[in-house]
Amino acid sequence: MADKKNYTVEDPIGEEVKKFQKGDFTIIGSNAKDSDVIVRPAITYWQDAWRRLRKNPVAMASLILLVIVAIMAIVVPYATGWDLYKVEAINKNQSPSSVHLFGTDAMGRDLFTRVWMGARVSILVALACTFIQAFVGCVYGGIMAYFGGIVDDIMMRIIEIITSLPSLLITLLMMMVLGNGMGALLIAMCITSWCGTARQMRGMIMQLRESEYVLAAESLGASPARIIRKHLIPNCMGVLILNIATNIPGYIFTESGLSFIGMGLQPPAISLGNLLSAGQQLMMFYPSQLICPAAVLCVIVLAFNLLGDGLRDALDPRLRQ
Amino acid sequence: MLKYTIERFLAMILTLFIIATATFFLLQAVPGDPLVAKTERLSAEQRDRMYAKYGLDKPVMERYIITMKGFLVGDFGESITFPGQTVWSIAHEKLPISARLGIQQMLLGITVGLALGIIAAMKKGSWPDYVVITLSILLISIPNLVFGLMLQYLFAGGVWKVFPTIGWPEGKDLWLGGWEYTILPTLTGCFGYIASYARLLKTSMLDVINQDYIMTAESKGLSQRKIIFRHVLRNSFIPVLTNLPMSVVMCITGSFFVERIFSIPGIGMYYTTAVQGRDLAVVLGWTVLIAAMMIIVIYITDILYTLVDPRIRLRGGKR
Repeated sequence: MADKKNYTVEDPIGEEVKKFQKGDFTIIGSNAKDSDVIVRPAITYWQDAWRRLRKNPVAMASLILLVIVAIMAIVVPYATGWDLYKVEAINKNQSPSSVHLFGTDAMGRDLFTRVWMGARVSILVALACTFIQAFVGCVYGGIMAYFGGIVDDIMMRIIEIITSLPSLLITLLMMMVLGNGMGALLIAMCITSWCGTARQMRGMIMQLRESEYVLAAESLGASPARIIRKHLIPNCMGVLILNIATNIPGYIFTESGLSFIGMGLQPPAISLGNLLSAGQQLMMFYPSQLICPAAVLCVIVLAFNLLGDGLRDALDPRLRQ
Repeated sequence: MLKYTIERFLAMILTLFIIATATFFLLQAVPGDPLVAKTERLSAEQRDRMYAKYGLDKPVMERYIITMKGFLVGDFGESITFPGQTVWSIAHEKLPISARLGIQQMLLGITVGLALGIIAAMKKGSWPDYVVITLSILLISIPNLVFGLMLQYLFAGGVWKVFPTIGWPEGKDLWLGGWEYTILPTLTGCFGYIASYARLLKTSMLDVINQDYIMTAESKGLSQRKIIFRHVLRNSFIPVLTNLPMSVVMCITGSFFVERIFSIPGIGMYYTTAVQGRDLAVVLGWTVLIAAMMIIVIYITDILYTLVDPRIRLRGGKR
């Protein structure tokens, strides 16, 4: 700003303008109606979000990576032809080779098959947990926002109490009560996580209920069902999807961590945590047994995290305004 | 301000009471009796005495009241698996170990994280910024379980034998010795802090830089350095403070895994062992203690905000 301007220079634009005469222009017609004509096709929220996501190379790469991981996790345990549980003492602790891509474990089982089976379990657990979390969170948040008042206060206090404990502690306690197993693991991991979703949904719904376009829809005579269908659900969907996407890596991590310390799924059940735990015991001699499951776990969590970041850019209402 | 402090204090006590109650009744539902295996071979009389020692012969409600009274006077119960060990004796023995690990992790992680955050915010849009962002995404995405195992493999055996694989300094080295044992666990835990604090401070600083008062400071002709350190940093620390309770949670949660990887005899290790051994008295006592630590940290942070940011205080303590 401080640089000196020479204000005495003659205005070049002014000179240009003088060349035009009044007759050079004709009125081509413009009226008030035309200003309302929609020139381009309307783009919905989802089309716009998808367009933004597609423009984000990192997010797209991680999406493709996730598709590959999903296909591997579905196909590999069937396709390799190795038995997941059968002990073959002759083949134990082999290094990676063309026969066994990741080598074999201490009981001679093909690690490639087992790692992808573990990945499948981890992803399934994460998906199931996010589903439960989203469902419970939406219902709880919806009830809070709908009733308000004292119900809202009490339900909010419950959430505050639950969140004031480290969630892993509650998960451990629940595992202790419910025993080790898939069902127990799902419940134990979901028991705290819905709180965040419920809070967000409550905030979102309350904000929407006070918004002007919902008021407009109400005064135009829209039924509650229509308002929910047309306004509440589409608007909450973005927040919800974002919430889900950012929670999946956490679930995968907690599941493998719990299995690692022996509190989650226990052998013979296969999970990435169990494989890591088995790999740690032999890592000085057979590092491939540790590195392979660790690498797959990293790739899955990284891909979910990067996709979550991309989704945040595409969906977050605050960034869009 | 005083009213707010007292109100929050009472709410804190209530929360703690509810947590203790809920945990007590939850643990009643644990299948199996911790004493069954121990008293299998004893005579009926001895068994009755054992049950009486832990109060397990009384009805649930009576036990509940005894336990709660115990909490009030600071008696958190005695271990069933290891007779003679009380929750306090375990705390005395194990808490310093976990505390040192946690403090080292947080000091290193938060310092480096904040420094990276400042660099990223000041050099926004140039390569240091991109390096920090990429690094923080990578660090957040790699579970600290994997980090720990990889560090252990790389530096404590598999490739280079630089550090001891497992163990922890004890005795006179408890606080200021045996550094070679603590380096790998500390590194494992600190990455999470580096990533989250770098991101947090960067976004928060960029928010502040766009404020009007920074423009005022610029137009007064203050130097860049003065603006950053006097105005921007001071005002961007509130979100960082908000994150502190989360970090303590991270520290406790992380310790469950890190201590297991490196076989560190701390609280996390002890807690998971107690859970696996169904040592109900210890689990109950420790859950309440950990909850109390958490809630006190949250309480202190809440009070701190009001001191740091007068805007919150003026609004009557409502956030």
